[in-house]
Amino acid sequence: MTSLLGGIFLGWSLGANDAANVFGTAVSSRMIKFWTAAILASCFVLAGALLEGQSGIETLKGLTRFTYNQAIIASIAAACTVTIMTLIGLPVSTSQAVVGAILGVGILNRQLNFAGLGKVVVCWVGTPVGGMVLAIIVYKLLAAIANSINLNIFQSDILLRLCLIIAGSYGAYALGANNVANVTAVFVGAGMLSTSAAALLGGLSIGLGILTFSKKVMETVGQKLVRLDPFSALAVVLAQAVTVHIYALVGVPVSTSQAVIGAVLGVGIIKGVNTIRRRTLVNIFLAWFITPFVASVFALSIDFATHLSYIPG
Amino acid sequence: MFKFLFKKERQVQELIFKYLDNLRKTQEHFEKAMDCYFDFGLGENCDFLIAQTHKFESRADDLRNDIIEMMYSKVLIPESRGDIFRLLESIDLILDHFEAVLFMIQGQKIEIPDFIVVDLREFIRVSLECCDLVIRQVEAYFKRTEDIKPLVSIIDSHESRCDHLEREIVGKIFDSDMDPFQKIQFKELVSQIGEISDQADHVSRSVYIINIKRRV
Repeated sequence: MTSLLGGIFLGWSLGANDAANVFGTAVSSRMIKFWTAAILASCFVLAGALLEGQSGIETLKGLTRFTYNQAIIASIAAACTVTIMTLIGLPVSTSQAVVGAILGVGILNRQLNFAGLGKVVVCWVGTPVGGMVLAIIVYKLLAAIANSINLNIFQSDILLRLCLIIAGSYGAYALGANNVANVTAVFVGAGMLSTSAAALLGGLSIGLGILTFSKKVMETVGQKLVRLDPFSALAVVLAQAVTVHIYALVGVPVSTSQAVIGAVLGVGIIKGVNTIRRRTLVNIFLAWFITPFVASVFALSIDFATHLSYIPG
Repeated sequence: MFKFLFKKERQVQELIFKYLDNLRKTQEHFEKAMDCYFDFGLGENCDFLIAQTHKFESRADDLRNDIIEMMYSKVLIPESRGDIFRLLESIDLILDHFEAVLFMIQGQKIEIPDFIVVDLREFIRVSLECCDLVIRQVEAYFKRTEDIKPLVSIIDSHESRCDHLEREIVGKIFDSDMDPFQKIQFKELVSQIGEISDQADHVSRSVYIINIKRRV
């Protein structure tokens, strides 16, 4: 069990940070209580991980061969990357950290699945772009429906709240389906866990992160989305959920935060306003390079450190 | 189907309609008090009607506070809470103007000269018609019973008529050979009455903006 701690920590921090992308809007605007959101998010994350998480696990475990020790090194390297980069305020994505760590292990093994790696990198670039395109489609579609029905302020608010809860739950499901691979795929690669046990453990650790540590992040990150009007926020959450779910079906773990940023950008394009600062876009671009690089360096360094032996003089 | 989930929303809605009923009652008592004043001057009956108007105005404040308190206990989305809060504050000013007119007459023992009574009654009638239309517009907004846009232009034209009447009455006051102090006193009263339609027009525009703001 202790050998799985790196992965569990990664899942916990993923849950604590990424739940804000799906329920932050509803919680920070007090449309739904934190505990309702946290319980719904945890349940749907677990459901997503168990029902559709296998595909991503297969992709990540197929990137290279893992030994027992290398799986642990990869998970610790990814966890350290996420923690340190978050602490020093650099843009970071768990998916990119995990792939970077696997890349480090692949370099050590002199064996990398370049086709699989190419697919993953294309999907990273496609995440914000997909979020943006889907946000435009979702916004236009929802706007057409909203404008065609004659609801009073109370009815439309109730409908909006219900939609935010449904979209949030779907987003949590997509998060579980897509990101569970980040947490436990390396252990499947090393033969330490079966795919379904990995999905269960990953889903539970993400859920634990949501239940124990996501409140503050939901309230602060959510407020950034609330600065959009609630309708736009709904379009953003839904577009993000669909984007992440599509990549879960493709079998590539992607960053939910980057999908959200793409979706916010898409809503901004429709409304003719600048919703995203150039700096944020630069950060996404940097994260594509810096995160995998740092994680690879960590994986190589940890491997090097584990092979050091004390030779008395 | 999900009615049981949104009990507080329904309660806020009911309170808003209660508030509008109360606004109607305040207006009715204001109208009765003014009629009584024009017909019989200040006296016991008029004082009673002024006190009744004040009572309904205070009741409106209580209802508004109840609505705000309930609204901010996790009912409605923040944007809607802010819109309704500002709308109620704005409607409340109409009631304040009703009360201010009556208190001015009562407190300053104002006696209206005959040459402006007819104009002043017409001025009050059009102002109150403005308020009727505003109540109808606010109800239409909350119940979605009719299009609110046409009401905005009707209220606007009533408000313009009130402005015209106000200028006409003030002109007549200053053309007369009344005591300058009385002239200023009447001008103040006429301006205070003019505030009713001005505020009604302001509420009407607010409702219109809130409505178009919610269109996606």
